[in-house]
Amino acid sequence: MAPPPIPRPVTAARPLLELRDLNVAFETSRGLVRPVQDVSYSIYPGQTLAVVGESGCGKSVTALSILRLIPSPPGKVLGGQILFEGRDLLALSEREMQSVRGRDIAMIFQEPMTSLNPVYTIGDQIAEAVMLHQKVSARQGYEIAEQAMKDVGIADPGRRLHEYPHQMSGGMRQRVMIAMALSCKPKLLIADEPTTALDVTIQAQILELLRKLQRETGMAMLLITHDLGVVAENADAVAVMYASRVVEYATVEQIFDRPQHPYTEGLLKSVPKLGAHAQRLVSIPGMVPNPSNFPGGCKFHTRCPRTRELAARANPAETVEVRSGDETFRVMARCTAAGPRVVPQAPTAGEPELREESQGHWARCHYAENFEKAPVTRPDLANKREVTPEAVVVAELGAVTL
Amino acid sequence: MDSVSSTLTTPATPTSPSPSGAPLLRVRDLRTWFPIKRGLFQTTVGHVKAVDGVSFDVHAGKTLGLVGESGCGKTTVGRTILRLIPATGGEVIFKGQDFYKYRGAELRRLRRHMQIIFQDPVSSLNPRMTVGNIIGEPLTVHGIATGADRDDRVASLLHRVGLDPAYASRYPHEFSGGQRQRIGIARAIALSPDFIVCDEPVSALDVSIQSQVLNLLDDIQKELGIAYLFIAHNLAVVEHFSDEIAVMYLGRIVEKAGSVELYANPKHPYTMALLSAIPEPDPRPRKRRIVLSGEVPSPSNPPTGCPFHPRCHVTRDAAKQANASETVELTIGGRSERVLSKCVRECPPLEQKQGETGHVAACWVTQ
Repeated sequence: MAPPPIPRPVTAARPLLELRDLNVAFETSRGLVRPVQDVSYSIYPGQTLAVVGESGCGKSVTALSILRLIPSPPGKVLGGQILFEGRDLLALSEREMQSVRGRDIAMIFQEPMTSLNPVYTIGDQIAEAVMLHQKVSARQGYEIAEQAMKDVGIADPGRRLHEYPHQMSGGMRQRVMIAMALSCKPKLLIADEPTTALDVTIQAQILELLRKLQRETGMAMLLITHDLGVVAENADAVAVMYASRVVEYATVEQIFDRPQHPYTEGLLKSVPKLGAHAQRLVSIPGMVPNPSNFPGGCKFHTRCPRTRELAARANPAETVEVRSGDETFRVMARCTAAGPRVVPQAPTAGEPELREESQGHWARCHYAENFEKAPVTRPDLANKREVTPEAVVVAELGAVTL
Repeated sequence: MDSVSSTLTTPATPTSPSPSGAPLLRVRDLRTWFPIKRGLFQTTVGHVKAVDGVSFDVHAGKTLGLVGESGCGKTTVGRTILRLIPATGGEVIFKGQDFYKYRGAELRRLRRHMQIIFQDPVSSLNPRMTVGNIIGEPLTVHGIATGADRDDRVASLLHRVGLDPAYASRYPHEFSGGQRQRIGIARAIALSPDFIVCDEPVSALDVSIQSQVLNLLDDIQKELGIAYLFIAHNLAVVEHFSDEIAVMYLGRIVEKAGSVELYANPKHPYTMALLSAIPEPDPRPRKRRIVLSGEVPSPSNPPTGCPFHPRCHVTRDAAKQANASETVELTIGGRSERVLSKCVRECPPLEQKQGETGHVAACWVTQ
């Protein structure tokens, strides 16, 4: 049985970042596409929130909206609030926003190849960020850059400062990105798939580094990933996104021990686990729906094993036949839309709300354990796990210059 | 389903059937070196030894997993076997025939028994061909079916990989990544091959789609008895899928064993590190992690002796216990480290270790 959520030891009454019912849309030739719908979550100082989901679920667009990096047009925020230390970032002027970016909130991207400018040296690029946000001279800027590179474990930073991105490997470039992001000591780091492009042994180095830096500086982290292993080892709280919405939000232990949403359950089962040789994988049928054409009702009903199982045993009057892709099957009527697709911003017919299943555990499913009794509350989770699963580092060997 | 295997039964092969017990594919001392050219006259100044002395067997209907990090040469091994890249040396014996000796029409006849599934389902399908033509082309090229007969076979292949046969008239861009990978699989099995190189077949796909494609590959293997060389960087996926696993590092196999054995009892320090580096989907992990320092060295200038020694934790531990005369001090990344001098001097052979028969590893220290 899962232990109860561990209360956060650090006293911080209010969240560092709080998203309230964020809605983002893109104007396209095929109509309004809404990649972020009613997304709410919070991040407390020192906490790591992992946002998990497959491509197109809206996890990266949400992160870009926090920094107001969504190009507009075609993008626009339809509603909601992004509160950073109590201030609504959506209400700031562009100038004020510039001082938030990089200084208060920094971001690292998946692709370390394209996120660095190929015609400037590494030192120029880090120092530029430093000089922009801190009142320092160029010389001091380079000194801070050198120190930042040392902090992320780059050997011989004095020499590397004068190198260009193409002279470095992928893992090294990601370290440079982290050095740049951390050079201004941000309170929040948004890491969008920081290790997806890297090999596993390099991934282990980078994640170990991020954990160490987080311990030392107490910054909070929004970790966007599709890798459940990375989530399990790094997150305090987890938000699972599917088709533009948060479908489950809970502590990392609750997500892995007692998943309530069938999508979370499916994701957990579909990953091959080491040491479980040759067991057949459970897979989620169908594919991720296209945001320009989401199914009505619960957006997961076309792929949901739970509603199919229930429908097989239920009174046929409570079920309906659904056709998805090449398949025809029965699902619970409640999971589908009663009528045609509704206008944006109005609650979609048949779509379940995100309800608090048990204390500190939200799920969006009509057939979650306690859905009937569960209240609709604001998703807010302050937990920080006490023991980071500090994998024992057998050989911390430092960086090797190649 | 059975209709597919029966309609696709191949005519007699140009090669004699392999004697029972002999492997379907035997790779011996495979080498793929790329020349490094410099200067006005483009003289060859050295070689990148992408693959340097790789040997293994693949048995009919079984899967050999080939795992390693980017740049280790695993993809080059797959392509060299199929002669998509010319080999510098070594032998590939397929069904008892020396594959590298074949030329022209004979080569083409043998090739239909060996296929490949690529990593990137976007760039590996011609965007200007319909799905029907993509899957049907090999049937035409090898003179197996034309016209209505070909269309029937394409339809049954599409059905076999879980797609609607009506999709034959559509173009690749109309499909999602997972569906495109299914099209790639249909093309690969169109000629009823005996052997398929699966080169990172699921790494470009979403998590929930990965398991669908892995299950499909598994079903096809059971049904049609195809042998796979399954190349991937994700050890969890390889371990799930393979009967036997070979771990590559800098162009060489450093360890090979049955997949259960390799996971339970790794003998090469690189395999240990690779296994421990995989994040477990469990918030309370029980394993110890070995964080390797540095990165894979460049294959154009590999370290002397055991290519893994600059990153190896086992040789460092052993050097602490050993007699000082048997160790040597190295400067690695600005730090000085003691390692066993043997590891720096000589490259260890791939030899039987304690454990299952056939569990081989190349390490001077582990037993």
